[in-house]
Amino acid sequence: MLTSSFPELDYSDLIACDLPDPGTLSRTLRIALLSDAATQQFVPILTTLLARAAIRAQIYEGGFDAIEIEAYNPDSGLYRFDPEVVIILNCVQALRSRFGTRKNSPDQFVNESLNRVTGVWKQLQTHSQAAIIQSTFALPYERTFGNLDLKVPQSFYAIVSSLNMRIAEAARDRPGVLINDVEYVASWTGKRFFFDDRYWDLWKSFCALEHLPRVVQNIVDILVAQFGRSVKCVICDLDNTMWGGVIGDDGVDGIKLNAHGEGEAFYRLQLFLKELRRRGILLAVCSKNEESNAKAPFLEHPDCILKLSDFVAFVANWNDKTSNIQAIQQELNIGLDSMVLLDDNPFERNLVRATVPDILVPELPDDPSEYVRFLSELNLLEVSSFSAEDLERSDLYTREAERRQAAAGYGCVEDFMRSLNMVLEIAKFDEFHLRRIAQLFQRSNQFNLTTQRHTEAACRSMMRSPELIPLYAKLSDRLGKHGLIAIVVLEVTGSDLAIRDWLMSCRVLARGVEQQMMNQVFAIARKLKVSRVIGEYIPTTKNGMVRDFFAKFGFQPIPEQGYEQGITRWQHEPAHYLEQPTYITTEMRFGEKE
Amino acid sequence: MNSNDDEITERLTRVFRSVFREPDLIIQPEMTSADVENWDSLSHINLVAAVEKEFKIRFTTSEIMELKNVGDLDGIVHQKTRS
Repeated sequence: MLTSSFPELDYSDLIACDLPDPGTLSRTLRIALLSDAATQQFVPILTTLLARAAIRAQIYEGGFDAIEIEAYNPDSGLYRFDPEVVIILNCVQALRSRFGTRKNSPDQFVNESLNRVTGVWKQLQTHSQAAIIQSTFALPYERTFGNLDLKVPQSFYAIVSSLNMRIAEAARDRPGVLINDVEYVASWTGKRFFFDDRYWDLWKSFCALEHLPRVVQNIVDILVAQFGRSVKCVICDLDNTMWGGVIGDDGVDGIKLNAHGEGEAFYRLQLFLKELRRRGILLAVCSKNEESNAKAPFLEHPDCILKLSDFVAFVANWNDKTSNIQAIQQELNIGLDSMVLLDDNPFERNLVRATVPDILVPELPDDPSEYVRFLSELNLLEVSSFSAEDLERSDLYTREAERRQAAAGYGCVEDFMRSLNMVLEIAKFDEFHLRRIAQLFQRSNQFNLTTQRHTEAACRSMMRSPELIPLYAKLSDRLGKHGLIAIVVLEVTGSDLAIRDWLMSCRVLARGVEQQMMNQVFAIARKLKVSRVIGEYIPTTKNGMVRDFFAKFGFQPIPEQGYEQGITRWQHEPAHYLEQPTYITTEMRFGEKE
Repeated sequence: MNSNDDEITERLTRVFRSVFREPDLIIQPEMTSADVENWDSLSHINLVAAVEKEFKIRFTTSEIMELKNVGDLDGIVHQKTRS
């Protein structure tokens, strides 16, 4: 769960505590529990731990060992309950019995067990919209071959390992299936503590009761990431967080940061952060320091894993952390509740907690060697999905930062713009880009002349309309690709070429993209030999930035009566249009046939 | 009864009160699940777990099976905490 300190996970305390007033819980979640172990003990723990995350649980317990019975019958109580989430808890104890009485080969056993699991998923996804949270199997403690168990494919240990891997692989292709890695929890706890065979024998308990809350917390973490907040950015302090010592006093040679001894704790934290960055988590620095001192280790220290380019924001000054963090938040434009601050200083932690609402500020252990383990145990970084887009996002922010740094090094903006070697690729809508096009129609508010929220289906039909010329543009430059950042939909009406939609991502403002696009619009107008290019501006509360868009290009207002409030219409003759100077090369890709 | 007995009974009472959520519960040797409102199959498991935790002892499966009343439980706790 996304909390700043360890959740209290004592079993007896949890079952004894009173539930909070349901009115204080912001969301209700309908959850079905299906298991081949007993689920009675799960219910109060799950209810209590979800309440801590402000979620009210409505829980449906499937019959004992009735996973298939519930899933395969379209009229089962499960489907009548209409769950939003189905939690499937398969236990290794039940698997062990089946393995012991198997009639087939170990290979067949793995396939058959996998098919049971995926068969249930298919049924659930056929009859319900619920997200599925599938457990892995805790690896068994018994070894029939000793250390050879892992090497011998027919050992139960090897079978369970293989089955876990196959379940994870099968889940990769199904976005609606999330993995509850019970094996991680079991090995974190320690196998000899995790299992209590007496409780299984007598009551079919999933594990020793005292460790049940950790299994449940793992599920809660998944639910919170799926239905609530998730972390996108980690902001780091520097002195005694990123390295040992104070850079301003000790200098690059004096700080503790290396692959052995006392400096290794910081080295290890940097390795961990580097992996997070590779995963798509944004990293930022917020430190009370002289900027040149703060940057020195990243530039000069031989054992500094992180480099300046790994950070999407680097703030080192003597302002208070609160305003610095707010500045970072505005720059990145992500919610405060998706940010985590790592700071060794308790004063700063408390200050930020008190003044920046929603940001997560975990306690840090006194001994830096425990930083990474502590952060892992908090499980701050739970996510419910991971895509190539996540990786791109991080790169995008980083390149934006490089762009700003590069801009600082040029004598004038023009020199810098020229050095970017920008290329604008303009093409007619195509199936491949439709999703992103529709997304831009839905999301663009500021640079949007008419704010028409066309759906993906509407965009698809534009492709077939003979009167319409629906265009998108992708920008790339020397530092990277920006992707699809602009849409212009033109319509030929009589002797006019009308601009129906014009919207752009604000990421690429002030680079000449709109000028270059307008040049192309008039190139098309001349090719079609139309007499006017006309356009319309429909004001909203957010698109004030383009109020004078047409006027800037020399369009004349069309004086007409009876316009709705604030709407303006504009016209321009192609012969009088002045080609706009830009630093962009254009590649047109919209011949008659693609 | 010696002071050790008193202490065990006191600790056992605390465990019962917490598990069954009855702050005034007084336990008697002949008391069974029929006498306590919240003593059902689920809380029985919790009772066993809580007693084991409180006294840092471990019941065998058959000891758990043979528990008939509070007196049986008290007896096993005495026996296991004596050594």
